Amino acid sequence: MAFLTERRLDRRTALKGLGVSVALPLLDAMMPARASAARQLTKKRRFVAIEMVHGAAGSTAFGEKNNLWAPAEVGRDFTFGKSSLAPLEPHREHLTIISRTDVRNAEAFTPPEIGGDHFRSAAVFLTQSHPHQTQGSDVRAGISIDQIVAKEIGGETPIPSMQLCIESVDQAGGCFYGYSCAYTDSISWATPNDPLPMIRDPRAVFDQLFGVGATPEARARRRRKDKSILDWVTASVQDLKSSLGTADQARLADYLDDVREIERRIQKVEASNATGEPRELPGAPAGVPDLYTDHVKLMFDLQALAFQADITRVFAFKLSRDVSNRVYPETGVTTGFHIASHHGDRDERITEYAKINTYHVSLLPYFIEKLQSLKEGDDTLLDNSVVMYGSPMGNSNVHNHKRCPLILLGHGGGAIKGNVHLRAADGTPMANPMLSVLHTMGVDVPSFGDSTGTFDLNSPLPSTAAGE
Amino acid sequence: MKRPVSSVLLTSVLGLTMLAAAEQQGAPAAPAAAAQPPARVAPPAAPRPSAPMAPVTSRTAAPAASTDYSAHNAVVKQYCVGCHSDRAKAGGLTLASYDAAKAADEAEITEKIVRKLRAKMMPPSGAKRPDEATMTSLMLALEHTVDRAADPGRSGARVFQRLNRAEYARAVRDLLALDIDVSALLPADTISAGFDNVADSQVFSPTLMESYLRAASKVTTLAVGDPEAESSEALYRVPKTASQMEQAEGAPLGTRGGLSVVHTFPADGDYTLRLELHGNACGFLFGGPYTGEQMEVSVDGERVALLDVNPKMADMSGGMSLKTPAVHITAGPHRVTAAFIQRFEGPVNDLLAPIAHTLADTQIGVAHGVTTLPHLKDMAIVGPVRVTGVSDTESRRKIFTCRPTAPGEEQACASRIIRDLATQAFRRPVSQRDFERLMAFYKDGRDEGDFEMGVASALEAVLASPQFLFRLEPVPATAVAGKPYRLDDLALASRLSFFLWGSGPDAALMKAAQSGGLSTTAGLDRQVTRMLADPRAEALSTRFAGQWLRLADVEQILPDAILYPYFDRSLGHAMVRETELFFDSLVREDRSLLDLLTADHTFVNGRLARHYGIPNINGNEFVRVTVPDERRGLLGKGSVLMLTSVADRTSPVMRGKWVMEVMLGSPPPAPPPNVPGLEETKATGATRMLTVRERMEQHRANPACRSCHRVIDPLGLALENFDVTGKWRIKDNGAPVDPTGELYDGTPMDGPAGLRRALLKHQDVIVLSFTESMLTYALGRRVEAADMPMVRRIVRDAAARDLKISAIVQGIVKSPAFRMGAEVPATATETVAEPDQQ
Repeated sequence: MAFLTERRLDRRTALKGLGVSVALPLLDAMMPARASAARQLTKKRRFVAIEMVHGAAGSTAFGEKNNLWAPAEVGRDFTFGKSSLAPLEPHREHLTIISRTDVRNAEAFTPPEIGGDHFRSAAVFLTQSHPHQTQGSDVRAGISIDQIVAKEIGGETPIPSMQLCIESVDQAGGCFYGYSCAYTDSISWATPNDPLPMIRDPRAVFDQLFGVGATPEARARRRRKDKSILDWVTASVQDLKSSLGTADQARLADYLDDVREIERRIQKVEASNATGEPRELPGAPAGVPDLYTDHVKLMFDLQALAFQADITRVFAFKLSRDVSNRVYPETGVTTGFHIASHHGDRDERITEYAKINTYHVSLLPYFIEKLQSLKEGDDTLLDNSVVMYGSPMGNSNVHNHKRCPLILLGHGGGAIKGNVHLRAADGTPMANPMLSVLHTMGVDVPSFGDSTGTFDLNSPLPSTAAGE
Repeated sequence: MKRPVSSVLLTSVLGLTMLAAAEQQGAPAAPAAAAQPPARVAPPAAPRPSAPMAPVTSRTAAPAASTDYSAHNAVVKQYCVGCHSDRAKAGGLTLASYDAAKAADEAEITEKIVRKLRAKMMPPSGAKRPDEATMTSLMLALEHTVDRAADPGRSGARVFQRLNRAEYARAVRDLLALDIDVSALLPADTISAGFDNVADSQVFSPTLMESYLRAASKVTTLAVGDPEAESSEALYRVPKTASQMEQAEGAPLGTRGGLSVVHTFPADGDYTLRLELHGNACGFLFGGPYTGEQMEVSVDGERVALLDVNPKMADMSGGMSLKTPAVHITAGPHRVTAAFIQRFEGPVNDLLAPIAHTLADTQIGVAHGVTTLPHLKDMAIVGPVRVTGVSDTESRRKIFTCRPTAPGEEQACASRIIRDLATQAFRRPVSQRDFERLMAFYKDGRDEGDFEMGVASALEAVLASPQFLFRLEPVPATAVAGKPYRLDDLALASRLSFFLWGSGPDAALMKAAQSGGLSTTAGLDRQVTRMLADPRAEALSTRFAGQWLRLADVEQILPDAILYPYFDRSLGHAMVRETELFFDSLVREDRSLLDLLTADHTFVNGRLARHYGIPNINGNEFVRVTVPDERRGLLGKGSVLMLTSVADRTSPVMRGKWVMEVMLGSPPPAPPPNVPGLEETKATGATRMLTVRERMEQHRANPACRSCHRVIDPLGLALENFDVTGKWRIKDNGAPVDPTGELYDGTPMDGPAGLRRALLKHQDVIVLSFTESMLTYALGRRVEAADMPMVRRIVRDAAARDLKISAIVQGIVKSPAFRMGAEVPATATETVAEPDQQ
């Protein structure tokens, strides 16, 4: 449900959630100093974190040799060749490839965890923390990067962040090896104990973003109605106050603050509708489209619309679900996704699997082009966004989490130049580039997950910078 | 059943005797023991009251106890201060400078002492203890000192409560005859002190505000119907842990598995149902490849589609969904069922024992020799298209109590409807100003559409109003600052109905409130009696007892499918229902509180009866049965036994902790950091697997653990004959179960009956603990040390009435805390209560 997307994460909640095992730096991450808000970023940043499951063909030995994911050349003059990233060639000036980083926290730490990679990985991708193995409600991972960003910039928009997914959750074959489905179903964690539900139905996303109503007129009517109800609530509270004790009056005053907050949101939506540019929203989607491609594109449409109307600036988007066996007719591969990912390290089957990776990447240009077409002052939305796409798995055949796929699209307000392939030194945690992405988004934290330092998102030289 | 309970407990609560109150049946010694208290029990310092059997009313102070405080202080110094010193501070408590004479000034510490003394948990067994009489004398002296000093008119203050999820759903049902899925509308409630209605943990947020707004609009649309309804999708999921080999609840006979739900349709129109089946890990249909399986879709029991299940369905070839043709369905609630046609009886797992938890692994049925059948994953109701209107529904009949036949009648009819709705929703007459504002909403809706839209518009405003959502209690103009004041009768009526019914007052209660019927004790009693007899009093079991016993935790436990293949979610649900029905029966029959431990009846359906080994019960209906001795009372209920287990083994620690917390009201202290879990104790011995008891014993060989676990563990070990799912067993890991042990006071225990008997020795503690919990729930605030004199008074009064549940309820209702309001001190409003971490 939507309720979890905008909870106030006060210090007490944070402390309680952290338990005892997490060191202080993460704590800082959860509460970006107000000082950092003071040196406000001049441009509105946007952040989208997209997870793909089952690693990539390019993470195998054969795949590396044949550059099925990472290009052969490091730096600006890389070529795509047989890479699954080839669909992004027309957009290479916006592309930053970060190859060979590891997601160590997705590995098994204890014998009972061995084999449970599919049911653990999704929870690691954006938290870079090790999930506590449990089937119960005592789930624990870490706070996810999208939520850290939302904490910093989400307050400026009506909805701090949203979580979207494509595959239906609680699929067959899910949540074994002693892992709660919570780890498999969500990539976004508001606190280390609080996985956020992902929304699959585009209509539900739409309703949350733009209000209930199938047409602009119906939504406008809804907003008018909400406003008059809020007026009535305010008036009743004024009448009621006099008959109550002081503590109850104070409580009603708190409540009125919330009423005003809702009023502010309504005004914000109306203001964005009133500005010159045509922002006529399309009709609300009817439900979940039958085709995967259509579903993904619709979700991208909604994200672009949300950015354009500035209703939210942060999305976590889960493109698939571990052990999904969906077949993608567009690829010509007739094996199911999961089965294909267990390619037995055989060359021809790895090559076959790369086609599925390529297909998934080929969905991105649609979104990139959309973001690029939307202007914000002198910039495009793409200039001010970071779209992060990757997988917490490497070679899916053996379930390892080394040399995992990770790319960035967009320029983060100019901090990321793009058109570069950055090859990480062996053993670099994926958390390092993520930490640097956080800095790009204006979140001033010293560490993230199992990061050992920052990662230069522009220089092709292996980054060795340690902290700040 | 004739019991000497009243005298036993009465005297026991007064502390005059410390009788071993035996269990009512099967303990023939009990009446005799009750009649002649052992001589040594009478504390030498405490004068014998002249009439020990005389009922003690709330106005009479407890009989005088020894006021020789220097002697009491000497006892404290000798037996307590060794550990509770300024330096050692055992349990974070020092008694070094404690003065019994000033017990009332340090009520919080005094209540801690009294609590432990009553339960006889202190001094701990093994430590040097004074004789019983001395301990009793000390306890009584402390209690009486505190009770005497207590302000009998104390009310205790809290901020106003808001409707939580459960109350919102019930209020909507009462107002609009509409059942809603409130979990989809409102955020989850914060639990404090075990309950979801504690006022100061009910914080506000914009999310909550927005949820209330959306809910008001959604509920209005569902209740009035929506002739302009747009097509949308409602998804219902079958829990993966639910068995699909038997008839699902609500599904027609002759079907197995699937799902049956009551769905409220917004309009008359065409709807399509999409059924998604489970696949296995390779993307093929789970339970294939046998031909001939069919799914039946029915609406209100009438078949609307019969769909063939193609055994070759797969992820790779179009997925695993079935779709019905468009079905015309009218507005309002209808039972929609999608279930498989049952083609044969008997197990389908050829080589293995039949299992209930069939979806434990979707690989089941893949291997040779093991077959299973298809399972439904979810059902989507899509529509409406081609809307033809909105038929009459119960909700519409409830709302539209008049129908204008000419435009001229509209205004009058709307006024009537809106005034009635607002009065019921606000739980007090609507003010003229509010009424005018609501009529303005009516006018807006009327101008935009028609009469119905006008009423809907006003209804939505009613549902979004703070007067509906918040339980505001006006301070009377006559109230004196700093003094408790009498709540107005309408506010009292609301407290009463939310306590007993979990919802707002009905017309009769409102009328009583408005005509002074609640101003007298007799009038209050009359209403309580009437309300306890009403079906809505089921809220006491589903809302109060469910939370008191922590029944929601049953959902959290998923027994290991390999060790407990006979478990599935429907069994868990049956256990919770059983416990609710059991508590409800005690309320309805107005039984003694002690029957919670000892009653020999319960309620089972076919599934649960099989689990308990009770023959000849079939079907989904619950029937009342007499249970064997080991299943008596709460400690024999599958729900309680399961919610205190972990997935793959019983947990004597959790069971013991539950008994200490819930029954005895004395939770054990939290474990120190860095204790290794039981899982780190080897599960195998030299020659065989170890029992849970053996592993526990190894585990707590550590002396740091022993001091607490010697108290906690035996309580749970006495229940070792019940496995994780509450099934009776005589072996654990192949070795015979040993359910013996000693209660912390040295009483030997053997199995559930022994535990029950041992606990009944401390029945006054159990009754106090129950009353504290019920008071917390009734008041919506945590019970504090300063409330304990009142709790004791309620218990003393109830003891005079055989501890009947109605006596506790009436004691609470008549207490000043329930009937009076008080100003919340200014400082208290700034601290937001920390929700309990359970």
